[in-house]
Amino acid sequence: MNCQNVRKRKKQNANTKKNKKLKRKDEDQMNALTVKELRKNYREHTAVDGISFAVKEGEFFAFLGENGAGKSTTINMLCTILKKTEGQVKVFDRELGKEDDEIRQKIGIVFQNSVLDGKLSVKENLYTRGAYYGLSKKQIREKLKPFMKRFELEEIWNRSYEKLSGGQRRRVDIIRALLNDPKILFLDEPTTGLDPMSRKIVWDYIEYLRKEKKMTIFLTTHYMEEVRDADHVIVLDKGRIVADDTPVGLKNKYTHTKLLWYTDRSGERDELVRCFDHSYEADHYIVKMPGEESFCITDFLSVNRDAIKDYEIIKGSMDDVFLNLTGRKLGE
Amino acid sequence: MRGFSGLTKRNVIVFLKDRQSVVFSLLTSIIVLVLYLLFLKGTFVDAIETVLSQQSMLSGRISAGDIDMFANLILVTGILGSAMITVPFNCLTTIVRDRENRVDYDILATPVKRWQIVLSYYLAGAFSSILLNGIILTVALMVIRMQGNLYLSAADICQTYGIVALGSVSATAVFMILVLFFKTSSASGAFFGILSAASGFVIGAYIPISQFSEKVQTVCNIFPASQVTILLRNKLLGGLLGHMDESIGGIDEGMFVSSIKEIFSFQAKIFSRNLEIREMVCYIAVVLMISLVAMTVIYSKNYRKK
Repeated sequence: MNCQNVRKRKKQNANTKKNKKLKRKDEDQMNALTVKELRKNYREHTAVDGISFAVKEGEFFAFLGENGAGKSTTINMLCTILKKTEGQVKVFDRELGKEDDEIRQKIGIVFQNSVLDGKLSVKENLYTRGAYYGLSKKQIREKLKPFMKRFELEEIWNRSYEKLSGGQRRRVDIIRALLNDPKILFLDEPTTGLDPMSRKIVWDYIEYLRKEKKMTIFLTTHYMEEVRDADHVIVLDKGRIVADDTPVGLKNKYTHTKLLWYTDRSGERDELVRCFDHSYEADHYIVKMPGEESFCITDFLSVNRDAIKDYEIIKGSMDDVFLNLTGRKLGE
Repeated sequence: MRGFSGLTKRNVIVFLKDRQSVVFSLLTSIIVLVLYLLFLKGTFVDAIETVLSQQSMLSGRISAGDIDMFANLILVTGILGSAMITVPFNCLTTIVRDRENRVDYDILATPVKRWQIVLSYYLAGAFSSILLNGIILTVALMVIRMQGNLYLSAADICQTYGIVALGSVSATAVFMILVLFFKTSSASGAFFGILSAASGFVIGAYIPISQFSEKVQTVCNIFPASQVTILLRNKLLGGLLGHMDESIGGIDEGMFVSSIKEIFSFQAKIFSRNLEIREMVCYIAVVLMISLVAMTVIYSKNYRKK
């Protein structure tokens, strides 16, 4: 009975995915970013190897990969800083390479390393950066008003940027990226090197931008937990896309949910878990449920509730996704 | 245009807010001043007195105050000449630091045009140099004026500021090309050390260029900064030398002033040929134009997307 259910659900899921793909095609015109066959070569070295993807307006998009995977190179191309070798990119229907000035007005970027001036105060840094977008002092002041309280900007307003803590600097970096009211915000590993408290503050604000301001967020990171809430994740390895899905989809595809069933081994119990990949260790069965069939666990447990009393469910993580995709753990 | 002015302002305040950097950019000038107070003034005064002693008919005709004033004004030209080299270079190292720290990426991702980025760095360097040298000149003239008559008309003073501006814009243009070769701020810092040490000699702040061999004089005078310093010397000391000549009353047929001018290099000598004031101005203008064109070509390639 269990095995039949598994097959049935698999078929249903395949149909849902097909429908989703068709829907995605229809929504092409709503894309904040459309990337086709993007490539970047540095002499013989290929940093980005013909990647294609789309980011929908208002979406939280995550680019996952190790250092050197090509994440920053991709962001720098999308932000008009680096020239693409090949490929087609559209940012809000503006073509990269032809309408760069228009693209620059629509994007904000938080770089991996701080790029503001250490000797200048927060105020001076933000006012000079605001001027790059043609904003007057008055306009900049107006734009900064909402940040003053939310980001506790008042207390650090006249302090030198170099005298700020890591978290405070990151906050100012984000505000700087938002000065031109970008429609898409690129965040290149924004929390690297930050303490947990500062990371939380940064993430709270990114959440606010996503939910309240409906801003499209393009994140690159090598922290697995940061992509948990993303709408769409791409895993990049050696300049190539190795996976493209939602975090749940990736987990379903590339990880297993494990049921640890604490009981003695017997032929009757072996029969119960027969159609799943399973093993027995010390005092428990390890039953690997295919990720996309995690619903099976509840079915399985409810059907066998008399037999299975002591158990534990372990969900697959994004670390497992990366491990299964690349054969390496992040940071290895 | 606001983006361009904002970036220029940023480049200026990044330099001026770094007090250490400003002090170090004036280090050669400070050394010239210290050496002057220690012994250079004595050397300059001795040189003039030697010329006077060689012609007994001149004894008592030039006052000690005028000789002091001459030495003081020679010092001012030395301070300004070296500062017009070191200040723009130090200000332009912002370009190197920006590239090193990827600050240029932040600028490149904004609507500021590539040519505006280049021009903003150039203008910031030139402006900082004009500002600092203008302050030095103003303070120096005020201090020296308290010690006696400078024999400078308002037009002379205005033209001196003009020469400071010319020296600043030309040196900045030359250094714009030079800083492109430095990938790290430590490399540009090391070069700055050499530049600081050499600049005082090249412009003749420590020893008048005339004391060097003809070949060395030619090498020194190839640099526009040397010729700018010579222009400053002519402008700042012209009135005083005229007054000295009047004091002598023509009995030496202008020999004294000619000797002084030769000793303290009032003309740029290139391959045994003395350049006239007009020729020096033309030379500096040509170097400036060539540097600006080269800067435009080189930087447009450099800031083009890679």
